Amino acid sequence: MSDGKLVVTWRAMLVAFLLPLVSLWALDLTLGGSVGAGTDSLPRFANALLTSYTLGSLLLLGNLFFYADSRQRPLAPLIGMLAAASIGLLTTVFLLNQGDLLMEDNGSVRAQVLYNLVHMFVSAGAILLALGLALGSTFATITAQKARRTILEEE
Amino acid sequence: MDAMAEAAVWFWLPAVLMPLGLWISLSSKEAMGRALGRCLVLLGFVGVVLTPWTVPSSPSSEAGHLLGFIVGPSALLLVGLYLIAFSGNVPVGRLPKSDRRLGVGATMIGVVWFTGMHWGDFTPTLNGEVNRYWLVFLPTFLLLMTCLCSGAALCLRVIGVQRSTESNMLWFVSGFVFLLLVLGMTIDGHAVDSASFRYHLWLAGSDLLGTAVGLSISILVFGLVIYWHERGLPEPQSVKPPTDEELNFVANIVAANLGGAEDE
Repeated sequence: MSDGKLVVTWRAMLVAFLLPLVSLWALDLTLGGSVGAGTDSLPRFANALLTSYTLGSLLLLGNLFFYADSRQRPLAPLIGMLAAASIGLLTTVFLLNQGDLLMEDNGSVRAQVLYNLVHMFVSAGAILLALGLALGSTFATITAQKARRTILEEE
Repeated sequence: MDAMAEAAVWFWLPAVLMPLGLWISLSSKEAMGRALGRCLVLLGFVGVVLTPWTVPSSPSSEAGHLLGFIVGPSALLLVGLYLIAFSGNVPVGRLPKSDRRLGVGATMIGVVWFTGMHWGDFTPTLNGEVNRYWLVFLPTFLLLMTCLCSGAALCLRVIGVQRSTESNMLWFVSGFVFLLLVLGMTIDGHAVDSASFRYHLWLAGSDLLGTAVGLSISILVFGLVIYWHERGLPEPQSVKPPTDEELNFVANIVAANLGGAEDE
């Protein structure tokens, strides 16, 4: 496959991925649009970003232990990732303390942080289930077809 | 025990046990370690599912309540797809053909179960109110599912060779999930009205985008940390070149092992 076609393929796949989302958006606007969610969407986006960044950093920090096995256990990358995760946590707490900027329907910063964590677990469950089912469906459709025969032609 | 300590013991401890057990199970090289890891996952899972009874006052117990509700249809869907996939044309580990019917049945029951949880009488409700995490889970799951199936369908068509049938089937799955979303946006469910569903669908979109961006940044930071560490390492010490004596020694060994019948 040429490079030019590869670029078109990636773009096409991205468009195919986003097509249902854009269609739903258009449909929602046609139906009167819950544009009110727009103002609530920003705190949700920011909270999801900060929580996934912090949890992702902690997960990768755990992953560094395996990396350290082959590198005589250096401390610098561990401290680096710990600092990165701490920055995520501190940024979350700092922004949550700025009035209603990132607060959702929770009474205190601690309640919002805990809500973010539980929310992320639930979202991660939904994401993992969707990924598993999409991959399973793809595999099931492929194996549902009749076996192919490869015909090798002599040149 | 105050409410925070109760939540820590009855919700957060079991919640932490699940990933910890999974980590031990995956990283352990001994059978004992793997079994211990699985036991911890099971223990954590049971502990989280029981939170509506152990810590009913904690808002986090709603997550345990939801987990208990969705584990049945999720397992049916996953097991159903597994049976369908491995009773087809796979070179190894093929299951009997009868498992295919079982898989299709399990998948259909799973789908009906999930749709019944929105439009039927078994929406997850706690203390007379819809579980707020159900309104997070369902739109996120359906939205990502339709997008992934659509992307996979085009992927099969463009990258795969003669995969139009498979691609069309995936587009059908994507279209079916899309239809469920449209129905959710237009027809009131048993306990969740369409306006509320549309509102939470927007939030699910923001959630997915935020999660994707946050994870990407954390991976980028991880790469940068490794890059900076590796760049700061001193050059490895060079070994001295071999002496003439060592070279002769090696040459003798090579010469002793060369030879054999020549091709004619």
